[in-house]
Amino acid sequence: MTTHVSDNIIEARGLTKRFYGFTAVDGVDLDVKRHSIHALIGPNGAGKTTCFNLITKVLQPSDGAIRFNGVDITAESPARVARRGIVRSFQISAIFPRMTVAENVRIALQRPVGTSFHFWRPERSLKVLDERVDELLETVGLLSLRDRSAADLPYGRKRVLEFATTLALEPELLLLDEPTSGLGSEDVERIADLIRSVSKGRTILMVEHNLSVVSRLADRITVLARGKILAEGPYSEVSTDSRVVEAYIGGEE
Amino acid sequence: MMTLLGISPQLLFGQLLIGLINGVFYAMMSLGVAIIFGMLRIGNFVHGAQYMLGAFGAWYLLNLPDLFPSLGLPSLNYWWALVLVPFGVALIGALMERLFIRKVYELEHAYGLLLTVGLAMLIEGLFNVRYGAAGQQYNIPEALKGGVNLGFMFMPYYRLWVIVAGILVCVATWYAIERTRLGAYLRAATENPDLVRAFGINVPRMLMLTYAFGVGLAGLAGVMAAPIYQVSPQMGHSIIITIFAVVVIGGMGSISGAIYTGLMLGVIEGLTKVFWPQASTTVIFVIMVLVLIFRPAGLFGRETVAAHAADMSTARPDSILENGRLWMAILAIGGTIVPFFIYPVFGMKILCLALFACAYNLIFGYVGLLAFGHAAFYGSSAYVAAFTAASWGFPTELAILSGVAMATLLGAIFGWLAIRRQGLYFAMITLALAQLVYFYAIQASWTHGEDGIQSVPRGYVFGVINLNDPMAMYFFVLAVFLIGFGVIYRIVHSPFGQVLKSIRENEPRAISLGYSTDRFKLIAFTLSAMLAGLAGGTKAIVFQIASLADLYFQTSADALLMTLIGGVGTLLGPIVGAIIVVTIQTELATLGSWVIVVQGAAFVVCVLFLRKGVVGTLEDWLSARVERKRIAAGGGAPVVERSSH
Ligand SMILES: Nc1ncnc2c1ncn2[C@@H]1O[C@H](COP(=O)(O)OP(=O)(O)OP(=O)(O)O)[C@@H](O)[C@H]1O
Ligand SMILES: [Mg+2]
Repeated sequence: MTTHVSDNIIEARGLTKRFYGFTAVDGVDLDVKRHSIHALIGPNGAGKTTCFNLITKVLQPSDGAIRFNGVDITAESPARVARRGIVRSFQISAIFPRMTVAENVRIALQRPVGTSFHFWRPERSLKVLDERVDELLETVGLLSLRDRSAADLPYGRKRVLEFATTLALEPELLLLDEPTSGLGSEDVERIADLIRSVSKGRTILMVEHNLSVVSRLADRITVLARGKILAEGPYSEVSTDSRVVEAYIGGEE
Repeated sequence: MMTLLGISPQLLFGQLLIGLINGVFYAMMSLGVAIIFGMLRIGNFVHGAQYMLGAFGAWYLLNLPDLFPSLGLPSLNYWWALVLVPFGVALIGALMERLFIRKVYELEHAYGLLLTVGLAMLIEGLFNVRYGAAGQQYNIPEALKGGVNLGFMFMPYYRLWVIVAGILVCVATWYAIERTRLGAYLRAATENPDLVRAFGINVPRMLMLTYAFGVGLAGLAGVMAAPIYQVSPQMGHSIIITIFAVVVIGGMGSISGAIYTGLMLGVIEGLTKVFWPQASTTVIFVIMVLVLIFRPAGLFGRETVAAHAADMSTARPDSILENGRLWMAILAIGGTIVPFFIYPVFGMKILCLALFACAYNLIFGYVGLLAFGHAAFYGSSAYVAAFTAASWGFPTELAILSGVAMATLLGAIFGWLAIRRQGLYFAMITLALAQLVYFYAIQASWTHGEDGIQSVPRGYVFGVINLNDPMAMYFFVLAVFLIGFGVIYRIVHSPFGQVLKSIRENEPRAISLGYSTDRFKLIAFTLSAMLAGLAGGTKAIVFQIASLADLYFQTSADALLMTLIGGVGTLLGPIVGAIIVVTIQTELATLGSWVIVVQGAAFVVCVLFLRKGVVGTLEDWLSARVERKRIAAGGGAPVVERSSH
């Protein structure tokens, strides 16, 4: 089997992270195919969030290398990686609470404009972005709340807002850390639909505990346990793997 | 006899000994600071005052009969003091923890530092009121008088005792924390208090005892220092900033690191006295700069996370109190009327300090970084403006601009260094860097030491407006202030300001959106320094003097206090704060050290009871009123539709 390099948007080799002697991620080789939805699952503490932190360079790997579109990004800063087109969401919703809903989205749209260092320009100069802001809020169904303070939103809406902010950057690769955690079933449906609808022309790598969401969305699944890859493949294959079942039953509850 | 580079061994070993003694005190003190910082996350600025309390405690015990002649108490000598005083000081520490410090554990780290700064000013101010600047003599105990001739030098017994006993205390402390069960609990408690609580340990009491222990160490150091240094109210203040620098150099998370670093820096300081005496006061701060450049985590430290912003602002964006245009107009009109009712000099003092506080608020309030050395920018600009106006005959506007350029340059350098370390370290580093500038100004010849640069000509602006006319001077200052105020408003409400806001609100998220937040923080810091410089340069022209007071720690603390009293991160807070603080300072000017006591008390009160400041509290009140009206009008609760749980 030969895979062409350009098929994979992310290629991680031997990815390892040690915290004071404890190995959270242990020699992980991860390939994410371009324009696919790839799910990363595993019991609590398996190292999924740590993997995300390594790919987005929030953490520096103790060992191993990461390539994005064939470029080695192992030594780059988190902001640089984000500018390359890898944008993540956080396990616990990450919004700017004391900014309005519209401002939350606008702050993401503002960066590509290139005036972010312009401390002499009035805020009015950002008005040109309003149209795009409203478009994005419309897509996720938050338009009617655009001028509310983000802190006032119920949790489900905060997650949606975070998603809209992430989308605003038109990322090539989206990393979603448990996008549906803490949501009611209605909101879960909404987010799942959103993920599917934005996945066209993009690559999505997601950590998700809700297996029905995973089974519906993911093209490929990697199962992580104790920092190591346990199994990899399409849902039908992985879900019947006895080691996976064991790890889940042994690991959860 | 053999000499080394023309230096006699007597001198060399003599200074080495003094360095080692200083090193022992640095080690004992930074050990206490490191323990309190590591376990309680409190930057214990009051540590110096507690050390001073130890020295005074010993002096009190010795002089009991003179102090309370009617009680017929005996005089308790050094050895009694060595046993009793550390406990007494520890007890005071425990009380302080119980009454004050405990209240801020759950708050942003900045409040812990501000609180202890206030307590230090309060205690040291009170002692200053009682004993003045002069020191008290404490004689070396009888048993340790004299010394031994080692051949190459004379070794006084007392100094030998201090070195041996100090090192033993440090080693014992290290052992207790790193090698005993109690120490293990302590370390666990700081990492996971819930877990330790589950073991049935009373965590609050444990934290209190830890604080008391660290403070007791300072008390012990104070007793041991009494026969060597003068027992004076200032003795703690000069050492605490050095101790903070030692802690920065040593790095976080290593008890033994604090001990090594303290000893080593004392010795290096001693050697510097031999080979390059002028540099001996600054060498520790220079080493700190080098360490920050080449080993940002510190010599023994592990973490190197960049300074994280903390949201402490109390403003509401849509409030009428935040309307820049409106207030610009009000300030312009008010500022024009005011000199007909108050002394223009008083008005100018307020305007200069208000601009200074507004500049400080830019970094503290709007970015959320606790900078603690803005006196460096204010003062250096004052010196450069004064020097270029007085010695080089620069026209006034050019002199001020030169000052601003100096402040901007320093701001860029200090910011670049300080942003490498997070949280409280940011405060400690800016504090230490400002101290470096202060020591430089004491020694350099162009600054004229204690005298400062005096008789600075006010001159002419643009060659036509004669500033020797008090009203012309006043309106010039008003114009400078309004320009500064406008610039700050623009910065805050610009695309750049939006990013600053996002950094303050949620820095990891701002990074994940692709913003190199360190760069934004650095630019904001530099702008803040620049505007502080504008205030300082203008001040030098108004009062026709640049002096050491402009560079002193107290000036940095003033900026903080004004911002805090007025309302952190609000448009008007720093101005309100400046009016309050300048009024207090002017009213109490005749009472000398009481000013410091009152300011210290103001810090403590603000941190404990008035964290929102005057303007923040007013905004709360206004918005609550609006809300009440809305509900009364049948508007209902301000809740967005519920989620589907
Ligand atoms: N900064 C850190 N310092 C020390 N240990 C850490 C750190 N971050 C994560 N860990 C540890 O690494 C392990 C993996 O954590 P991680 O958050 O990656 O798990 P996860 O798979 O995302 O779990 P969950 O499903 O609960 O989110 C955990 O045991 C965690 O305690
Ligand atoms: Mg996780």
